[in-house]
Amino acid sequence: MNPSPEQFDRLRQLLALKRYEQPPPRFFNHFSDKVIARIETEGLVMRTSLWGRLFPDLDAKPVLACVYGLVITGLLVIGLGVSQSLESEESNAPTLDTPWFAQTPGPAFKLPPTAPVVRSLSEQTDSTSSVIPAFPGTAPRFLFDVNQLKVERASYSVR
Amino acid sequence: MNTHVLEKAPAPPAALPPANDQQEEQQRVKLAKNGDLEAYDELVRRYQERIYATIYHMTANHEDANDLAQDTFIKAYQALKSFKGDSSFFTWVYRIAVNKTINFLKQRKNKTHMSLNDLDFNAEHDADLVALISEKTPRREVNLIELQEKLNVAMQKLSEVHRLVVTLHDVQGLSHEEIGKIMDCNTGTVRSRLFYARQQLQAYLSDYLK
Repeated sequence: MNPSPEQFDRLRQLLALKRYEQPPPRFFNHFSDKVIARIETEGLVMRTSLWGRLFPDLDAKPVLACVYGLVITGLLVIGLGVSQSLESEESNAPTLDTPWFAQTPGPAFKLPPTAPVVRSLSEQTDSTSSVIPAFPGTAPRFLFDVNQLKVERASYSVR
Repeated sequence: MNTHVLEKAPAPPAALPPANDQQEEQQRVKLAKNGDLEAYDELVRRYQERIYATIYHMTANHEDANDLAQDTFIKAYQALKSFKGDSSFFTWVYRIAVNKTINFLKQRKNKTHMSLNDLDFNAEHDADLVALISEKTPRREVNLIELQEKLNVAMQKLSEVHRLVVTLHDVQGLSHEEIGKIMDCNTGTVRSRLFYARQQLQAYLSDYLK
């Protein structure tokens, strides 16, 4: 049975009366406040994790999660490759017998000719202490005698 | 002499928000999902009147409509994480409201107590309604408030799904497609339910529609 549009015209006019039924004045002014207050008092406020705040789209879009996963996997693979190449470079690098400082340019300051020669690490391996003094014996004089000061006895005359 | 200007019935509220509003709405939903209560407050404000009105026309009781509308928005907030955006937020919230209301009505069965809202002052100036009660109606003494009561009693005699279709289409102004999405059925079902519901109402209100 096909209803004609005019068949229910008067009924629809009557139903329009329901659109005039309105809640008390200002009812909607505080409606949303009540909803929010109930959410807060009932402890329903959503706490998102740091991960969720940083990547809010991951839950809604699984494709993005896949892309993130691929990027992180790619970074791990690159990191692995770089570390392996570094290892192979280290195997060609000088060993402990030739100390690293022997290959670098000379020190920023010139040691005085009287300064003792620093021993190589291989010479120090027989030592029982892990703290090996760089300068054997007493401290070198040049460290504390920068201005060539001389100590002299002072004498005072009392009048 | 009555100098009031006769008006047409108020247009039903726009069903779906415009496209640019939809983008803004999606942004608000995203913020609300991340715990932004201000964004959710905006969403509530946007749909509170329509959700309340739908529930009110279904229950014919202001207090019940108030409680159920609040419960609807709270339930929607709790379920927001599961909202994937396949439908609009509007349709999704409507669906929650409809399910809550139908469940409530099933529990309340045979305990109907109407608590009707006052008619807006402008109802007296509606050309169609004035014509309906003063010219064609055999019971000329009928007034708008009596007509409102009769209409609500007739609505309450319908089954929940038929009442819902009439409310969403003839009172709220939603399209058949939108109603189909909300009620999770095809438009053919919506049309046939609407036809049956109108037939029923016409029979109940025959005295006022001659």
